[in-house]
Parts: sequence; C-alpha cells; structure tokens
Amino acid sequence: MSQETVTFSINEKEITVPKGTTVMEAAKKNDVYIPHFCWHPGLPIAGVCRFCMVKVDGRPKMEIACNLQATPGMKVFTETPEVKDTHKWALEFHLVNHPLDCPICDQAGECRLQDYYMEVGKYKSQMERPKVLKPKALPIGDDLVLDTERCILCDRCVRFEEKITKTGALGIFNRGDRAVVGTYPDKKIHHNYQTNLVDICPVGAFTSKDFRFKQRVWFLKDKPSVCPGCSTGCSVDVYAKPEVRSYFRVKPRESDVNGHWMCDVGRKTYRHMNQEERLRSGIVTGADGFRTRSRFDEAASVLAAKLLEADTNDIALLVSPQYTCEEYNAFFSFFVGKLGVKKVFQWREPTEKIETFDGILYRGDHNPNTRGLADALKKHGLPSDVKNGFDDLARSGAKLVIALVPEIGFQYPSLNAQISKLEELSFVSLWTINGTVFSHKGIAHAIPMKGYAEKKGTFVNFEGKVRELAHAFPAGSDDARDVVEVVAVLSEVLSHSN
Amino acid sequence: MGVIKVALPPDDKNLFQMAYGYFVTISSGMFKTWSIFWKQITKQEKSNTLEWPEQPATYSDRFKGKHFLTKREDGQIRCTACFLCATACPAQCIHIEAGEHPTNEIEKFPVRFEIDILRCVFCGFCEEACPVDAIRLGPEYVMAGGAGEKWVYTKDYLADRSELNGGIVSVKVENTKHYTVDTDLHGDNLLATDAPHMHH
Repeated sequence: MSQETVTFSINEKEITVPKGTTVMEAAKKNDVYIPHFCWHPGLPIAGVCRFCMVKVDGRPKMEIACNLQATPGMKVFTETPEVKDTHKWALEFHLVNHPLDCPICDQAGECRLQDYYMEVGKYKSQMERPKVLKPKALPIGDDLVLDTERCILCDRCVRFEEKITKTGALGIFNRGDRAVVGTYPDKKIHHNYQTNLVDICPVGAFTSKDFRFKQRVWFLKDKPSVCPGCSTGCSVDVYAKPEVRSYFRVKPRESDVNGHWMCDVGRKTYRHMNQEERLRSGIVTGADGFRTRSRFDEAASVLAAKLLEADTNDIALLVSPQYTCEEYNAFFSFFVGKLGVKKVFQWREPTEKIETFDGILYRGDHNPNTRGLADALKKHGLPSDVKNGFDDLARSGAKLVIALVPEIGFQYPSLNAQISKLEELSFVSLWTINGTVFSHKGIAHAIPMKGYAEKKGTFVNFEGKVRELAHAFPAGSDDARDVVEVVAVLSEVLSHSN
Repeated sequence: MGVIKVALPPDDKNLFQMAYGYFVTISSGMFKTWSIFWKQITKQEKSNTLEWPEQPATYSDRFKGKHFLTKREDGQIRCTACFLCATACPAQCIHIEAGEHPTNEIEKFPVRFEIDILRCVFCGFCEEACPVDAIRLGPEYVMAGGAGEKWVYTKDYLADRSELNGGIVSVKVENTKHYTVDTDLHGDNLLATDAPHMHH
C-alpha cells in the first residue's frame, strides 16, 4: 500500500508530500524558511504566535503555516510583500511589552526576536503607553532562571513539560497583556531535562544558571560531537572559545538517537576539558622518588623504558569504557597483539545500575562505549563481559599497570577511591584528562589525554549504532594526546630499542 | 623622439633679479621673529608656550583620551557587562567578566572590567557601542610610564581613580527595574507567578 501524497506549490515551486503534512513541515523539507516562534518540530502544534503567516491563493486572509495542512493544488506564497508586511506587524505585537534588555540577556545573539527584527521588522515603535511590567529573574528550577517580561507566550515550554517530560510543571497564568508563564504555587522544576526549556525558548525568557552571564554567544564556536555522558550517545554541539581553550556549554543537535533533546547530566560534560579541571601535563617520578610535571615526550619515554624492562606477565591493562573504538583497537593491537599482555581488566563504577533507564534518554550505563569496548576485547580474544576488574587486578599480581581512566569523572562517584586503590601498586601509569590525579601522591606516572571534543573516532551506543565524533576543537593542552597517538609513540620508541 | 620643455632655463645673467623675492620674504619673516622675541623677552607680550609638565595643559571633555567608567546616581557602576564594547573593540583590549549582582535591581554587572591600555588605539568604538553610557574616553592624556607601570586598567581604576574626583555620574536615564517588579533571584520566596505576586 503506497502512501497517499499531495501535490501543491510553495512560491510557485511544485512539491509532493505525504497526505497530512503541514505547509510548515513541507517548507522546511524543501528549504523554504517560514519565520516562526511557537512551532517546534519536536512538539505538538499550538498555533499561538501567529507569526508563520503565509498567503494562500484564493483565500481572503493570511493563514498560519504550522497548522495548515497541504491540500492538492494549493498555491502558497511565503515571500510576497503582503506576507512580509504581516510578519512586520505581527512582530510589533510581540515586542509591545518586551523589555528590550538585550544587553543583559543571555539569548542575545541567538534570539528569534532580534533575528526577525533585523529580517522583517525594522519599524519604529508606535506605542505611547508604558510597557506592562512583569516578574523578572525568578529561579524556577535547579538550573533555570525565568524572566516573564521577555516571554512572548509561545507556549513551547508548557508543551515540553506536558508532552516530553510529562511533568506539567509550567502553565500560562492571567490573560491578555498580563499573561505570564510560570510554575504552579510552591512548585519548582527539578527534572533532568530542564535545560531543554532554555534551548527551545525562542527568546531569553528561560536562561540557564550554568551558562548565565558566562559568555556572549557570538564569541563562541560550536562544533558537532557526541555526548559521552551515558550509553545513549546523543548528538551534541559543543560550544567553546578555542583561542582561550575554554568550553562553555553542550547543546543537543537533532538526530535519530536523541530527537531534539538531551539531559542535564550530559550538558555538564564540558567542564572536565577546561583548564582548571584537566590534567595539562604528564607526571613522572625521578630516581629520587620525587614527582614532577613533565612534557608528553618525557612521560612517554619514561613509560617506554619501563615497558622494556618489565616482564610481559607483570603488565596489566585496566580499561574504562569511555574511549573510542579506534583508541581501543590501537591500544589492544599494541599491548595485547604486539607485547602479548594477557591481563586485561575493565574499569567500571561499582555502584552502577546498567539496566536502568529514565524513559526519555538517560541510561544507567554511564559510559558511551561499553559496546565498543566489548567488541574490541572480543576481537583480541579477551573476555568481554561487563565486570569491574579491580579485585581481579589486585589478585593478578601485576607490577606495571596501564590504566585508561574514565574521562567523565563525575559519572564515577568512586573514582577517587579507585585511584587510591591503584596507588598501592608498584607502578601505575594513568592515562587521563582528570586533573585531580596529581593530588594522589602514589601515582607515579600519568599521561594527559584529550577530551572527547578534541579527538576523532566512534562510539557504539547501547543499541549498536555507531556515533561518530568529529575532531571538533584543538587540544586544550599542548601535551594532551589521544590513545592512538600515545600508542604510536610508544611503539616507535620500542621498535628502535629492539 | 622629442623633448617637451616644461620651463625656461634660468637666466644666469640676472641672478639678483631672480632672488629678489626670497630676500624680501626672509627678511620680513625674520623681522617678525625677532620683534616677537624682543617683545617677549622684555615682557611686553605674553608667551603662548606652556612650560609642560610643570604647567598643566587641559583638553576639552570631547578629547578621546584615557577611559573611565561612569556610575549610577547611587554610586554603583553603570556597566551592565553586555560585552558590546569588547565586541566592537578592534584592538581586543577590553576584558570583561560578568556576574550576578548581589541586589535584585541590577541583574548583571562586571565582576572584572579591564582595559589593556597598551593595545588600545583610542578609536572610541567602545564609547559608541555602549548602550548605557557606561564607558567614555576622557580628556586625560598623560599615560606615559615605565616598565613597572600597571598597563592593564582595572575596574576600580577606571571608575574611581583620583583624577575623576569620586567618579562621573552618567545623566542618561537609568534602565533599572521599576519598584513594582518582583525579582526573586536572591530571595527566599521561590514562587514564580501565583496571583499575589503580581502588582499592577
């Protein structure tokens, strides 16, 4: 049974779409942009902003494109002077009571009101009466600040709360120009998806406490990446200022894995890459037992010398599932394939509950590449079932341990305790981005790693989908390397010494 | 090939006639110089030359010299840390760190506001970009200093240095919130929009 289709035209261009498609969706698929505030592809249609007006041939009035189903032979026009004029005056209505506090508004630079004013507005205000004043800067959620004056009552947040998180915490109260969006009395927003409200808000009514006042958005560069916070592997955009090596926020990018959303835990996965939290240099211990920070080359040659001295049976690998498939392959090809190391253990969080799922996106397995690690272990003939290997490591009697430390430290509540356990071993080399390892006095050797936004590679998510990491930003430290690069250096040093 | 003659060759025979104009002009000029020198040395006329730096020289308020930050009428710094000056600055010499103000009336303010005066080109774009008249270039022009000098002007220096005599208050109408507007960011009351909160 083939799907019924409808053929109609937008700006005199013939378009065929499945029956039931709205003009807005058809236009979006065909790269015709219709300005809008309240319509969002991930939310039900509300039709409240009255901004996506289009002209339909033969109909006396403008119609809203978001709630207008395409019918055969319909002729839609989106760019006639009449349509532009309608947008202009619709915008003036939206701005009647808008406070215009763009200088202190975090949305400035990515604000629909600003964009459309420059695109279709550019009128002079005709309002003589003072603006209606409403409550400002209300902390209505753990990460949310609400400014009801800036709100244009597009209703997106209310629909998000109803349909996506099903918490229904927000509503629109009062009527007319006194209408405000807000929470019910004594209620605040606490769930794990609240920063999505900041993303979908087309104006600056919702701002994120985490990002609030940190940076103006026009200074930031965004690059696509994959969230390493859990095994769902949401597509994200990482926002950074590469010239000062700082990361500022993570936002969802539309994909078939995560739709339009991501959780608040995933949004924190930029902090560990910032200068104050990351391990910027290697750690080496001299013959006198004195630990110093070192450049990468020195740290690598110290490790290579240790590997040359060590007996293969004394070497053990401790691998966390937070690195890319390419890194695992390079790592195991060298250590297992070339050096013949047999003792390989997994680094996992003892308190984790892998099978839990919150019903939207966030999964109990807080590692992005559990499947990729299992595949790589299988490929190299090693046991691949998920198991915390710390006890086995202690029993194995290994004298030289190389550990790929979890990148997202806050997802491992026992991380510091686990590193303390490793301090008891005779020589352990931590490959990590986590800056706190320096405070563990027993850690004799460390190699600084790149963050997930700084390397190329792939994760395999919980359902086996390959999630591709782009090499988004230059490394935040000159000494940071990914595992592939470290292994290449080690193998070169070792091949020269043989 | 032809040669285009643009001037007649000088008439060597009549040198005095040719140089006559020069002698007249130079001697009348030197007469002026010496007569003023005489008048000033005998104190008949006041000299326009300043003995700077012992004698101060002032420029008009419109001169684009050393920057200063203006204040609100209550003495708070006027800047809202919107970063527009830093965006407009072609020398990238303005560094701002924004923060939440402890009072609700002012939401955003600069925790740090620094101008690297060595990079500044005194173009005045910051002054033009500012939406709240918070930064201006003033008539101070003495900025020379040695290697030990502080070349990064901090917020306190820009707003409160002794030359500003307690700070300059901007006369522009303030963009603070009306007293009826509720803000809760630092309060205990976390209710957002239930009816008693609305005052009209």
